[in-house]
Amino acid sequence: MRYLIELYLKYRFWLIFILLEVVSMVTLVKFNKYQGSVYFTTANTVSGAWYSFTSGISSFFDMQAENERLEHENEMLRKRLNDLRSGMKEEDNTVDMLTEKNRNLRDYRFISAHVINATLNRANNVLTIDRGEDDGVKESAGVVCSSGVVGIVYKTSAHYAMVVPLINEKSIVSCKVDIDSTRVFGTLQWQMGSPQFSFLNDIPRHEVVKEGMEVETNGFSDIFPENIPVGKVTKVDDSSDGLSYSLTVKLYTDFAKLRNVSVIADYTRSERKLLEEKVDSMINDK
Amino acid sequence: MLAILFVQIVICNNIHVFGYAPPVLLAYLTMKFHRGSSRESLLVWGFIIGLIFDIFSNTMGKGMAACTLLGMLQPYLLGLFSPTESVDMLVPSFKTLGFDRYIYYVIASLLIFHFFFYLLEDFSFRHPKILLTGTFVSTLMAVLFVILADVITPKDKYVD
Repeated sequence: MRYLIELYLKYRFWLIFILLEVVSMVTLVKFNKYQGSVYFTTANTVSGAWYSFTSGISSFFDMQAENERLEHENEMLRKRLNDLRSGMKEEDNTVDMLTEKNRNLRDYRFISAHVINATLNRANNVLTIDRGEDDGVKESAGVVCSSGVVGIVYKTSAHYAMVVPLINEKSIVSCKVDIDSTRVFGTLQWQMGSPQFSFLNDIPRHEVVKEGMEVETNGFSDIFPENIPVGKVTKVDDSSDGLSYSLTVKLYTDFAKLRNVSVIADYTRSERKLLEEKVDSMINDK
Repeated sequence: MLAILFVQIVICNNIHVFGYAPPVLLAYLTMKFHRGSSRESLLVWGFIIGLIFDIFSNTMGKGMAACTLLGMLQPYLLGLFSPTESVDMLVPSFKTLGFDRYIYYVIASLLIFHFFFYLLEDFSFRHPKILLTGTFVSTLMAVLFVILADVITPKDKYVD
């Protein structure tokens, strides 16, 4: 304490000088806008440089932990890259396969999407995909995957769309079975039960339908083009009224593992609809 | 002191030569402390004089800092320009220091004062031309006022 007093007495002039100058400077910065802003800007620059310097030192000592963290992150990113690559391949395959099968598909555009939510065990299952109106997805557009038909877009928002899949009791898709050179048409409708099987109804009894026959879209609707694979006939049964056959169809699409899908954007749909409406109105006028 | 304060507020604060800030005549009071004054009291008086100037000129902090600096340097400057064989309680003036020495003393003091004052005004070295021109113009004006003040004020008490 005595030492401190001696120290003060010895240097009191300079201490008072520094104190008074500090008070003056604080007053200057506090009461003058320009000086205040210059001070805070400079102080920020200085403190920024200081933090940068200290963080440089600390990061040097943290380098080993940082390396381990980066290695872990690299590993995770590599895995993600592989997943994406395989996903892209799958999508390319969808388009290639469908285009090869059907030349009419040249008029269509495919919008790639991912299934982000799906239900399988309800009567009215739905899927949510991560593409919406902003991406060109419209209501009533068909949705397919590399294996075949998935469903129909029911509702859209800006970035998402709800799809009614084949495994929804309200889903009705017009399909055909090629028997020799004859096409037999029916309607595909799912009943609550296994998500792997659906039912093709209204098949005339005089047609000879066998197990293992291919079921494809018939192109009557403007939702799906012709010849998109749907599934394979596994069982032939009589319908409940006994007037037609009801075929059990094993769906090609595995809804439990469904991830990558493509929405069909039909360039000609509006043109076709317009023509049909024109003809209808002409007939009605007559 | 009241007369100087009056001149500072009424006249000097309204002089803007070439658009530069007015001369600070109040620094004159710090310069006129006699030799042998307590150095600490010089600092405190310098601070108070600067505070009074700042209050009336809306330059908070600048006058305080500059006058305190001048108060700190005053004994050294006075020692530099006063003759070796002079009285201990010498009050700087034309008569005590002689015309040349007194003018040099005043110019040196006011140059330092105004340089520091305008440095705080600019708060950077980005405009050295304005800083130096302002310093010289204001110092010149202040020197003229100091000479005038010395001529019209009563004779100093401690003269040889």
